[in-house]
Amino acid sequence: MFRVTLKGLAAHKFRLAATALAVMLGVAFMAGTLVLTDTIGKTFDDLFGDVFEGTDAVVRREAAFSSPEGQGDQRGRVDASLVRTMAAVDGVAEADGTIQGYARLVDKEGEPVGDPGMGAPTFGGNWSDSDDLNPFRIVDGRPPAADDEVVLDKKSADDAGYRVGETATVVVQGPPQRVEVVGIAKFGEADSPGGASFVLFTTPAAQRLVAEPGKFDAVSVVAEEGVSQREISERIARVVPPGVEVVTGEEITAESQSDIKEGLQFFNVFMLVFAVVALLVGSFIIFNTFSITVAQRTRENALLRAIGATRRQVLASVLVEALVVGVLASLIGLAVGVGVAVGLKALLAGFGIEIPAGGVVFLPRTVVICLVVGIGVTLLAALSPARRAGRIPPVAAMREMAGGSSGYGSKLRIGVGAGILALGVASLLGGLFGGGGSALPMVGLGVLLVFFGVSVLGRTIALPLSRVIGAPLPRLRGITGALARENAMRNPKRTAATASALMIGVGLVGFITILAASTRASINATIDKAFTGDFAIDSGTFGVGGLDPALADRINELSEVRVATGVRMGSAEIDGHVEELQGVDPATAFDILNVEPLQGAPSDLGANAIAVFEDVAKDGDLQVGDRLPVLFKDTGTKELTVAMIYGENQPVGDYLLGRAAYDANFADQFDSQIFIDTVDGVSAPAARAAIEGVTADFPGADVRDRAGFKEDQTSFVNQLLGLVYAMLTLAIVIALLGIGNTLALSILERTRELGLMRAVGMTRSQLRSTVRWESVVIALQGTLLGLAVGVFFGWALVQALSDEGINRLEIPFVNLAVVVVLAGLAGIVAAIPPARRAARLDVLSAIVTE
Amino acid sequence: MATVWSDARGTQPTASAAARTEGATKVYGRGPTEVRALNGVTVAFQPGEFGAIMGPSGSGKSTLMHCMAGLDTLTAGRAFIGEADLSTLNDRDLTLLRRDRVGFVFQAFNLVPTLTAFENITLPLALAGQKGDPGWIERVVATVGLSDRLAHRPSELSGGQQQRVAIARALASRPQIIFADEPTGNLDSRSGAEVLGFTRTAVDDMGQTVVMVTHDPVAAGYADRVLFLADGRVVDEMQQPTAERVLDRMKQFGD
Repeated sequence: MFRVTLKGLAAHKFRLAATALAVMLGVAFMAGTLVLTDTIGKTFDDLFGDVFEGTDAVVRREAAFSSPEGQGDQRGRVDASLVRTMAAVDGVAEADGTIQGYARLVDKEGEPVGDPGMGAPTFGGNWSDSDDLNPFRIVDGRPPAADDEVVLDKKSADDAGYRVGETATVVVQGPPQRVEVVGIAKFGEADSPGGASFVLFTTPAAQRLVAEPGKFDAVSVVAEEGVSQREISERIARVVPPGVEVVTGEEITAESQSDIKEGLQFFNVFMLVFAVVALLVGSFIIFNTFSITVAQRTRENALLRAIGATRRQVLASVLVEALVVGVLASLIGLAVGVGVAVGLKALLAGFGIEIPAGGVVFLPRTVVICLVVGIGVTLLAALSPARRAGRIPPVAAMREMAGGSSGYGSKLRIGVGAGILALGVASLLGGLFGGGGSALPMVGLGVLLVFFGVSVLGRTIALPLSRVIGAPLPRLRGITGALARENAMRNPKRTAATASALMIGVGLVGFITILAASTRASINATIDKAFTGDFAIDSGTFGVGGLDPALADRINELSEVRVATGVRMGSAEIDGHVEELQGVDPATAFDILNVEPLQGAPSDLGANAIAVFEDVAKDGDLQVGDRLPVLFKDTGTKELTVAMIYGENQPVGDYLLGRAAYDANFADQFDSQIFIDTVDGVSAPAARAAIEGVTADFPGADVRDRAGFKEDQTSFVNQLLGLVYAMLTLAIVIALLGIGNTLALSILERTRELGLMRAVGMTRSQLRSTVRWESVVIALQGTLLGLAVGVFFGWALVQALSDEGINRLEIPFVNLAVVVVLAGLAGIVAAIPPARRAARLDVLSAIVTE
Repeated sequence: MATVWSDARGTQPTASAAARTEGATKVYGRGPTEVRALNGVTVAFQPGEFGAIMGPSGSGKSTLMHCMAGLDTLTAGRAFIGEADLSTLNDRDLTLLRRDRVGFVFQAFNLVPTLTAFENITLPLALAGQKGDPGWIERVVATVGLSDRLAHRPSELSGGQQQRVAIARALASRPQIIFADEPTGNLDSRSGAEVLGFTRTAVDDMGQTVVMVTHDPVAAGYADRVLFLADGRVVDEMQQPTAERVLDRMKQFGD
C-alpha cells in the first residue's frame, strides 16, 4: 500500500514540490528566527561573560522600581566614598567605581553618532585603571589623563572617522564638550559591545558630565586570590549603608544576560508571529492541494478499495504522502533557515535595527521545534482530505468522475462558520476591551478564529463574490474573460480555500495599514490641537538623554522668539505602577502647549506639586489639594500635592511636574523636546535662521517647523510599517504559490476541455489569458476578503487604543486601492507557470478518447 | 491570414477541393518499433460533399482526419484546407485556420461545461472576437432543433442534444469544412439517426462540406461517398453507399 503512495508521489514531483514549498518557507522563517535570536543571545552571553569576567562583586543602590519597557531596574547612584569603604574590606584586592550614562559622540560633520531611539544605546563612562574590571583594551593611543581627554570604542571611532590626536565633540549633560581623542579601545575582541557607542572619560570628568559629581552608578570589586565571590559579597554586605545592595559577579552576569534576553524575547515573539502566519497560510495550501488531489484520484482510490484496501489503508496512504511532504519540507526549511537568519539580520539592519551577532548558533531545540511544527502542520492540514479519501466507496471506481463539488455549502457549514466567526470576534473584542492578563492570547485566538471562520464561510460567499469580481471581465476580455470568470466560479470550494490563504496575508497588511494611518492621523491631530507654536526641536532620544536645558533658555533670549519651553521626561512609580512623567516650566509651557487646565493653576506647580490628567484623577479619585505619593529613583518617595487637573494628555502624558519638582527629584537634566512660538510678524525663514544660529552649538538639535515636526513624530510609523510589510510579504508569496498550485491542478483536471477549446480555435495566448484572469479573480477575492477582515481588525484595535492616544480611525483608501491593484498584478504573476503549462498542452492527446 | 489564402500551389484537378492530401504519410516511433499509421494517402473532398472514412481499428482513419484538420502534423506528404498547405503553418496560424475555416464534432466531450449551449455554439466566433451572422445562427439553431435549449449548460442536456449543439457550433461560423470524429459513437440509435439527419441536412440545404470518421455502417450510409482505409492506405471507395453495402464491404476486412 505504501509503495502505491510513494510511486504516486514520485509521479507527481511538481505537485510535491509546490506543496512542500509552502511548508518549507514557513519552517525556514521559523528556523531563521530561532537561529538569529539564539545567535544574538549567545553573542550577548559571551559579551557579558567577558565584561564581568574579573568582577567578583558589585555594589549598587537597590532598585527603586522596575521599568516596564525592558530597560531593567531603575536605581539611583551610590556615593563615591563607597570605593574607599570597599577597598578597606578584608579580602578585597581592588575596588573601582563605574559610571555608565548618556553621552553621544558627534562626527566631523556635526551629526551625532548612532540612534539611541531605535538602535544600540550611546554611553558615556569612566576609564577604569583596573585591568580586571575594565573590559576595554587600548589598541591605539593611551588612557585619558585629563578632563578633556577621552577614549572611544573602535566602532564609534571608525564610524565617525576619528583618530588618536583629533578633537571631537561629545553631547553630555550640560553644554556639548570639546574633547581630545587620546585612545581607541576594543571591547574584548569586538570593536564595540553589541554595537553600543562608548565615550570614556577620566573618572572626575565622567562624574561631572554623565553622572553626578561624587557619585558612581556602581562599585565593582575584585577579591583577593582564594576568596570566593560569595564570601567577599557577604563581607561587603556587612559594611554597606542601608539602601545599597551587593551582588556577586556571577549574579550580575546572569542578570545582564537575562535583561538582554527579555528584550530579545519580545523580538523573538514578534518574528515568530510572522512565521506562524506563514505556516498558517501554508496549511491552507496543503489542505487545498490534498483536497484537490484526493478528488482527482477518486477513481484510483475507489479502485484500491474495490480490490481490497481498507478504508484505513486509503486514509493512511494520503497521510503518508503528507508525512513525506512534511518531513522533506521541514528538513529543507531548517537548512534554508540558516540563510534566512542572515537575511533577517540584514533586513533588520536595513530598518535601522543593528544587531550584533557572531557565529551561527544552531540549537537542537530549533531542530525539534521546526520538525514538530512543520510536520504537524502538514499532517493536520491533510487530515480532513485524508478522511474524505477513506470515505470514498468502492463503487465510485465504476462511476464517471464527478465534475467537482459546487454549491454554497450545507446549512450546517454556514452555521459552523458563522459560529466560529462570532466566537473569534467575541474573543478579539474581549481581549481588546476586557483588559486583564490574558488580553494578548485572547486577541491572537480571536484573529485566528476570525480568519478561520471567514474561510469556512468562504465556500458560501465564493460564488457570488467571484461573479461580482469577474463581472467586468466578459466586457473587457470577451470570451476569454467570460471563461475565466466561469472557471473561478465552477468550484467555489477550491476558489474559496485558495483565496483564504491570500486573505490572511492581505488581512494583516490591511490591518497594519489602517493602524499606521490611524496612528499617524492621531499624532497629527494631537500636534495640531495641543501644540500652538511654530517650531519644535526633538532630541530623538525618547527620554534617554537629550538636549542641554540651556538651549531652551538661549532660544528664549532671541528677539524673534516669543516663547520657548523645554519638556523633560522621566519615570517614577505611582500607586505601584511605573509612570512616565514630564517636567515643564509652568511659566512658559502652557503658553504653547494646550493641556486644557480644568482645576488649579499652572502657577501652583511648585517643588512639591504635581499635575494629573483628568481621567487619571477620576480613576484615583484625586482632587486638587490631595496628596499623591511618588517614588523617584534618585530621591525616594515624595508626597506631592495635586496642584492641577488637566483635560488633554497629548502630548504631555498623564502626569506633569513643574520644573522645580522635576529638578529636585531627577539627578540628570535633559530636555527631550523644545517647543517654540515666534513673535508675530517675524517670517518663518527669519525665525528659523535665528533659532538655528543657536542650535548650531548643540549637535542633535534639529529645528523642525510644524509640518517637519509632525513628520518626525510619525516617522517611526513608516519604519515599523515597512518592516511589517516586509515580514508579511512571505505569507503573501506563499499564498500566491498556492494560487499557482491550485490553477495547475485545475488545468490538469480540465485537460480535455482545454484541448477542445484549442481544437476549435483558441490560441495559446487566449488560453494563457483565460488562466491569468481566473487567477486575478481568485487573487482579488482573497484580497477583498482580507481587506474586509483587516478593516475590522483595524477598527477594533483603534477603538481599544483610544486611551493610548490613537483616537482617530483613518482608512487610507488610496493605500488599500494600491493593495488591490498589486494583488491583481500578483495574481497575474502567480498564473504565469500554470498558464504556460496550459498553453503547452498537446491538443491531440487532450481530445483523443482513450 | 494572407499567407493562408495566397498559397495556391495545388494541382489543377484537385485545386477546387475543400480539403485534400497528397501522399500523406505519418510514422510513429523509429527503428524496430516504427508504426506507419498513414502510408502515402492521397484523397480529396469536394465542396458540398459529405464524405465518410471507414476502416478497422488501427487502419489510420483517425490519424488521417487529425492531419487533414490541422490537429496533427504529417511526417511526409502534404495536407490542404482549400489552398492552404498545412505544413507551412505555425501553431498560431493553424489555430486561427481551425477557428475560422474548420468545424469539429467529436465523439464525446464536445462542449465546454461552463458555457451555455448558445455560448458553446458561438465559441469559435467569440474566440475570433466576432458576433457572427445572427440570421444564420438562428437558422442553424432552428435546424438542429435547439431553440428552447440555448440557455442550458451541457450538464442539463441529453447526449443527443449535446451532439446537436456540437453540430450547430461547427456550422455557426460557416467553415470551409467540418470534420466529425465518430459523432454518433456515444449515442443511442435514435439520437444517432437525428444527429446524422441534421448533418445530411447541413450538406443538402446549406452546402456544407463534411468529412466524418466512423466505424458504424449505418452512419456511413448517410454519406455521399465512403473511403475505406486499411493499414494506412486507401483500399476502396464507394459512391452513394447504403448501410448494407458498407457492412458487406467491411466484412471483407474481417473486422
